[in-house]
Amino acid sequence: MKRKGLATMLAVMMVGLTAVGCGKGNASQGQANATGGKEEVKTLRFLDVTPSEKRQTYYEGIFDKFEAETGIAVTYESVPWDDAANKITVLGSSNQLPDVMTTWSGWLGQYTQAGWVIPLDDYIADSRDEYTEAVNKLLWKSEEDRYGHVYTIPDGLMVKGIFVRKDWCEEAGITLDPTKDWTYDDYFDLVKKLTDASKKHYGAAYRGARGALDPLLVYMQGYTGGNTYDQSGKILINSEDCLNAFVKWTDVYKNGYAPEDAINWGFTEMVDNFTGGLVGTLINDSEVAATCQANMSDDQWMVMPMPKSTADGKLYNTINAPYAYSISGSSKNPDEAWKLIEFLSRPENNIEYCKLTGEIPIKKDVENDETYGLSGPYATFARQLNDPDLAVPTTFGPFDYTDLHQGMFHEEIQNYLLGNVDARTALDNITSELQRRMDMYLQDNPDSVIESALKLK
Amino acid sequence: MVKEKREKKKWIYRGVKTKMEPYFYILPVMVLLVLMFGYPLIKSVIMAFQNYKLSNINNVYFNDLANFKKMFGDQNFLLLLKNSVVYVIVAVLGQFLLGMILALALKQKFRGRGLYQSIVFLPWAFSTFVVGLLFRWSFNGEYGVVNDLLMKIGVIDKGIAWLGTPGLSLVVIILAMIWMGIPFFGIMVLAALQSIPEEVYEAAEMDGCGIIKKFFFLTLPYIKPTIIITVLLRTIWIFNSFDLVVIVTGGGPANYSQTLPSYMYTKAFSGYDFGLAGAFGLLLMVILGIYAVVFLKISNYDKAGDF
Repeated sequence: MKRKGLATMLAVMMVGLTAVGCGKGNASQGQANATGGKEEVKTLRFLDVTPSEKRQTYYEGIFDKFEAETGIAVTYESVPWDDAANKITVLGSSNQLPDVMTTWSGWLGQYTQAGWVIPLDDYIADSRDEYTEAVNKLLWKSEEDRYGHVYTIPDGLMVKGIFVRKDWCEEAGITLDPTKDWTYDDYFDLVKKLTDASKKHYGAAYRGARGALDPLLVYMQGYTGGNTYDQSGKILINSEDCLNAFVKWTDVYKNGYAPEDAINWGFTEMVDNFTGGLVGTLINDSEVAATCQANMSDDQWMVMPMPKSTADGKLYNTINAPYAYSISGSSKNPDEAWKLIEFLSRPENNIEYCKLTGEIPIKKDVENDETYGLSGPYATFARQLNDPDLAVPTTFGPFDYTDLHQGMFHEEIQNYLLGNVDARTALDNITSELQRRMDMYLQDNPDSVIESALKLK
Repeated sequence: MVKEKREKKKWIYRGVKTKMEPYFYILPVMVLLVLMFGYPLIKSVIMAFQNYKLSNINNVYFNDLANFKKMFGDQNFLLLLKNSVVYVIVAVLGQFLLGMILALALKQKFRGRGLYQSIVFLPWAFSTFVVGLLFRWSFNGEYGVVNDLLMKIGVIDKGIAWLGTPGLSLVVIILAMIWMGIPFFGIMVLAALQSIPEEVYEAAEMDGCGIIKKFFFLTLPYIKPTIIITVLLRTIWIFNSFDLVVIVTGGGPANYSQTLPSYMYTKAFSGYDFGLAGAFGLLLMVILGIYAVVFLKISNYDKAGDF
């Protein structure tokens, strides 16, 4: 009898504890608590997809300020970049996404289709003018063209440049002027001149693995007006000009201007081997500037703008907000989530963030900050953003191409580099698959407008 | 009468209770097994017949054999199969032969044997991630210690791009796997060797048996059950493993070092095509199932160790 009573008591305690646990869990998941008949949000969940000690410190500090001002607490959650896409996919599939999450633009096709992010058009309607031209005319325009709405608020602007070993250039008697335009042929010439395998000096950090087609696509788009497809949805990047561009680009590897191992290189290997002194140039985003500052002396590196197209004189450059803020479709408190994003985007908070991450601020008020001025370390990137010839080329398409990006694209190029197929076959294999998917997409979405390159002016 | 009935009932209850008791003991483990292994296993088999893409989770449906058609029609399929077979055979053979030599060496008593034993068994204690990084750096085409050594002893006159050359990239992964697995065979075979009675060897010596005869007609038959089970286990583990491939080369260049499980991993966690990955998983299960049955049959495992 005594035992039975004890068991009953334990069972009741378990149920009670579970209920309490669930209650707390719900609160931390952004559920609203009733207080005096009024719904009041206690806590929002925030997911950072590229965590580091510095970022966490920044976010926790800024969340404290936000709570002091609004009374809304924010829980910082993070997932390493390599696992981020997987985790968000799992969370999204089970409707467990946090209220606010940092999102890479490449994921938006999947997320908008699945309803994992919500449109922000109404929220930004009154404040669009506060944001820079690049945000309005390039980033948001691109989202509107592709997905019909604005879904993200940039955390900062990431723009590509060519990092160059200044000391190697001086040694080789080469003078580079980052304020002057140059072409891809000038760049290839530089790569050749910087190569001296006997000294373990290679001209380029060639990207051979995942993401290999990304910079090559931009180069090829220099011959297609920045577009991947024409207005009827026919692929453009299989033309003879594009094939020549494909061959010239891959010649950097085939002619030995990059280490042989580079056929397997991704982002990390490229950056490590540039800062480590094996390669002389690196095409990458402004975020790498912070790594260069930390690992190299000022007289060792400089940044050149992306080369201009010889076909139309445009400066084709991918501009993105690497970890833009979005409100998830699972959020029960989108208005409060927006308050948080608005707070993070305030000029003083945004500039603090950008200095930390090596990005360019998103609001006009901060354009004149000395870090981003013409003599600062980000001068070349800022200059490109104001170049009247600046144009943002289109992506691979409005459909989901994750599997191609993770496999087929670089595998076809690798097959060409290894001599298994010729350049025409490799390029045709890639473009045929893109065309097939585009046709299917247009069949399912007959009214969709084909995305075209965005031009600043 | 009532009392008798009650007694009978009690007796039946006791009988059932005694019979069921062992099942209650194993129930927690069974529940865990079903949850942790049974459900995922069945789910992956079901997914193999579905269009199951995480990137389009609202559109999951049965697609008959479409995933299998895609798998067998993949232009890399034969390459993956060949890589997997070469990887498993060479790695298991290498581990087995070197593990056997290690065990025979350690069977003899010598000064510092304990210390030597601890050192040579160390690779088994390392995580695959660490081993992968170790080999990736050692075989780096520009800075790797392997190229440096080979150049110093005059075997090569310029560095080899081990990780970027078809064929060689798989060799690096096989070498890493052999290095990691030698201690496992060493430990298992050594334990089996130590269980052979000394009198058997003494009797053989009196009959005039030489060292080679003793090895083939005494040692090997005695340790045969251990050899069979370790070879079987290692083959399954190595065939299933994808971590070394992912860490050392990522399957590159152009899938030349990719194996079936690592390709399956890529399809699931990079392409989010869990249906196709499920088909690969099912194929692996079938291959390994057939292998286990055939191997045990051929090796006469039932009769091994009978003298």
